[in-house]
Amino acid sequence: MKPFENIEEIIKFAIDSEQEAYDFYTSLAHKTSSIQMKDIFLGYALEEAGHKKKLESIQQSRQFVAQSEKIQNLKIADYIVEIEPGPDMTYQEALIVAMKKEKAAFKLYSDLADLSTDNLLKSLFHTLAQEEAKHKLRFELEYDDIILKDN
Amino acid sequence: MKIKDIITPFSAWSNIVVKPVTIKDPLNERPGAERYRGFHKNDIEACIGCGTCEVICENAAIDLVPVEGKDASSGDSGLRPMVDYGRCCWCALCVDVCTTKSLTMSNEYTWVSTEGDDFRYTPGVDDKAWNNNELGWKKPDYELLPLSREVMDEEHASERVGSFIEIVKGYSLKQAEKEADRCVSCGICIATCPAHMDIPGYIRAIREKDYEQGLRILYETNPLPEICGRVCTHRCEEVCSIGYQGDAVAIRWLKRFIADQVPFDQYKRILGLDSLKESGKNVAIIGAGPAGISAAYYLRTLGYGVHIFEAKEKPGGMTMYGIPKYRLPIEQLDAEIGLLEEMGVTISYNTKVGKDVMFNDLRQKFDALFVGIGFEVPYQMAITGEEFKGSIQAIDFLRRVNQGERPDLGHRVVVIGGGNVAMDAARVSRRLGTEVVVLYRRRIEDMPADPEEIEGAEHEGVKFFTQTIPVQINADERGNVKSITYLKAEMVDDPKGGRPRPVAIEGSQTILEVSTIIGAIGQEADYGFLDSESAKMLTVERGRMKVDKSNQTDIPGVFAGGDAVNKTADAISAIADGYRAAKGIDKMLGSND
Repeated sequence: MKPFENIEEIIKFAIDSEQEAYDFYTSLAHKTSSIQMKDIFLGYALEEAGHKKKLESIQQSRQFVAQSEKIQNLKIADYIVEIEPGPDMTYQEALIVAMKKEKAAFKLYSDLADLSTDNLLKSLFHTLAQEEAKHKLRFELEYDDIILKDN
Repeated sequence: MKIKDIITPFSAWSNIVVKPVTIKDPLNERPGAERYRGFHKNDIEACIGCGTCEVICENAAIDLVPVEGKDASSGDSGLRPMVDYGRCCWCALCVDVCTTKSLTMSNEYTWVSTEGDDFRYTPGVDDKAWNNNELGWKKPDYELLPLSREVMDEEHASERVGSFIEIVKGYSLKQAEKEADRCVSCGICIATCPAHMDIPGYIRAIREKDYEQGLRILYETNPLPEICGRVCTHRCEEVCSIGYQGDAVAIRWLKRFIADQVPFDQYKRILGLDSLKESGKNVAIIGAGPAGISAAYYLRTLGYGVHIFEAKEKPGGMTMYGIPKYRLPIEQLDAEIGLLEEMGVTISYNTKVGKDVMFNDLRQKFDALFVGIGFEVPYQMAITGEEFKGSIQAIDFLRRVNQGERPDLGHRVVVIGGGNVAMDAARVSRRLGTEVVVLYRRRIEDMPADPEEIEGAEHEGVKFFTQTIPVQINADERGNVKSITYLKAEMVDDPKGGRPRPVAIEGSQTILEVSTIIGAIGQEADYGFLDSESAKMLTVERGRMKVDKSNQTDIPGVFAGGDAVNKTADAISAIADGYRAAKGIDKMLGSND
């Protein structure tokens, strides 16, 4: 991946990533035979659309609020297995796929923040990373509450 | 007239200079004694409105009344005592018998008013000058209520760990009557019971030695009393009035006692099941677990033809295939199913809907459907190595043992999970002669299992490693499980404001040698029985079918209950769902006449 040269490129990359995630979940929703999972995948797609909209407003206003709040990390995504995404995923598997996806996005932005020498870019990457951390936390909380209810 | 009669009116004037014997300011000059029984006070937050004060009052001076801002809720009737001082004799029996110690008496003894109705008030609600009096009569040290429970005879832990014989032996007649005498008939338990059983009613039947009436009361809302009398989660006991200062009444064991007294061959006569009306309409039930059995019983008593489709070879669901025999001997379920068949219910075993019969066909052929499919599919542990030989799921393990298998578990079993299924798996493993360790992510106080099950497991030698997160299962060169790697966890604040959550501590890896790993982290339903058209209509939220207050799903004419619907996931909630759905189906089909 070639290095980002300016903030506009970074924001565009982030927007494209959210679009890719939206397309990913929408595709699963169309392919799945489970009515429960269809609604769940569509819900995830809507959330990604919301993330994209937030980034587009940053793109238009050319401003962002630096995220300093430390988002909690339940680390559930760190220790569960990778699941191959497919239309016949169960709810548990869908949550695992989603939280791993958000974790990958968080890691990407965190690594980019570490690599950046420009303070503004660093701050932007860090903010994007924390946004992904929030998304991951949402899925980890759901997993902890529903799947791990007895554990 | 005598001289004295003339002088007396004048001598009476001498009293003007005599100091009066009456006291103008009685409270400040002659306050009530420290333990004086004056006007009542009540801590309305501690009070649960049990009405025991009303019952014991010989003068009918107390009435339980609704109060503003207090609604009925689990463990609280929402009512509070109102005292009528035209009747009260200040004997303080109401205070002495108060189950929560909320009712007391101030040492206030003067109250002047020209309005008679003023002398009838609700302590703690109506503001009175003596509300903050510290002195006065409080519940004394002696106890009017029997606070200690009759001890249930059980197999000792060291003996029972070697067999599957039933642990609990049941109450004798004398024990049951003594225990039944402890109930104050407040009825607070009724609302908390998911099936709203008439608990004071059947306990009274024990006191009156009328077991047939007791059985009739049980069956009004629960057609599986022998099962519930052994394995119910007994939420009723958690709100029992007597439990505030002593042991809750042993409601579960008393239910079992009644069921044990009546010979099964008398059930049909006692319950009036010899002749049932016939409506000419038929209902199909998917699943012969507690929810399906309950729906079947009440639908049949309402005159509907009932046909149950059960995928397995025997009925009972988790009560047959999941609950170990040391908690629920199998013969009990056979009797209760036998009653259904005598009532004319048809049960097709080894018949899976979606494979042997089609859901859509059932919708066409029957006037209504009830779905009680349970949570049969275990969640994966989702850690590396789960596929190795020796890594199994608890509900499969329990089913195999209940069917008579005695698998070789090796030298050490690790059970992952903290619910009742995990405890069952752990205690069954102990009975198969192996060392057992339970790994649980959170703290012991967070474990959702019944505390009695946790205690039973501890007594039987099960070890608990809490705040442990399994991360990898390791195998030998033949692919057999040989160890499990876990991390220690620290508890962190919940972002949603709930109980603390566990987070793995980096670098805290521990490897535990093990021969068998049993996953018991939870289960979900299998909705594969639905055809595509029906699947589109059904709303499933977070794994459970959405139903209305009569347990009807979004599919017209299809009702549902049990673990795949309610969140409490116990037999009594499933039974309550079956009852509600039967009433809902009756209302729907009756309205179509």
